[in-house]
Amino acid sequence: MPEPKPDPRQPIYLMLRMKPPWVFIDEIRRFVESFCACACDVAVNRESQLALAVHELMQNAVPYSHDEEVDLVLEVDPDADRVEVAVTNRCTEAEFQSLKERIARMNREPDALRHYLAEMSTSPATVRGGLGLARVRFECQLELTLSRSGGRVTVHASGALRAPALKVPGGAHA
Amino acid sequence: MPELPVPTNPLQVADDKYSAVLANDVEGPRVVFRGTISTVNPAVILNPFVDAVHGELAKLGRRRIRVDLRELEFCNSSGFKAFIHWIERIASLPEAQRYTLHFLSNPVRKWQRTSLLALSCYGVNSVSIE
Repeated sequence: MPEPKPDPRQPIYLMLRMKPPWVFIDEIRRFVESFCACACDVAVNRESQLALAVHELMQNAVPYSHDEEVDLVLEVDPDADRVEVAVTNRCTEAEFQSLKERIARMNREPDALRHYLAEMSTSPATVRGGLGLARVRFECQLELTLSRSGGRVTVHASGALRAPALKVPGGAHA
Repeated sequence: MPELPVPTNPLQVADDKYSAVLANDVEGPRVVFRGTISTVNPAVILNPFVDAVHGELAKLGRRRIRVDLRELEFCNSSGFKAFIHWIERIASLPEAQRYTLHFLSNPVRKWQRTSLLALSCYGVNSVSIE
């Protein structure tokens, strides 16, 4: 007799709406890591990568939020082998175009590590910012896209739930 | 009487949620980072600290320093720049004076492995990980 098929699992969602200040981001990162440790129990180490992505995207969003809410949506879909972090904040046209160009430039380089290393060498050491998106793409193994609605921009970071171990040329891996 | 300024030690820095110090023990110099580096621009504090440690190591003529992250809960990308800055300072030295950063990581803090992996690709000859 054939084995019965396991019941399909529902995607798991987390939605948070936050008004700055900045200091809550640490607490959200810790909460997301705990949440994902339960939600991503089929994927080794994914919780720390998703927590890192949430932290970096929130720290990018808060300074540009114009003192309005920042929204976080986290979706884990075990059956589809997919995760997505989406962070939304208000933005001006100029801020949107600047972010759009940065993400387009990043995505023109297919090698996430090569892009990350290039950002390390060109991003000024004493100025805040410039590394977060490249860090999310390489270290968290998530691809980044952008959408906009009603004067608000959303950065989507998505990828496989069961991501392979991160490797670099030479064979070292995390 | 006006208060005298408190003398500061450039080899030891602290902010609300993190600290860094150059310690010396039987195995030689060790830079210990503790806490959570997640302020807006931690490089303002950490880069001068790195510069001071770098100067001290140059005086001591050490070839290797341990960088202890075992009590570092988290480091944001702006804080991560301090390590990039450090690698660049080492790379700017004449080859005979260069030293390596030997990172001690905490397996419970899984972000450290991926971040150090990337850092080891940036500082190919100046970074090792334990």
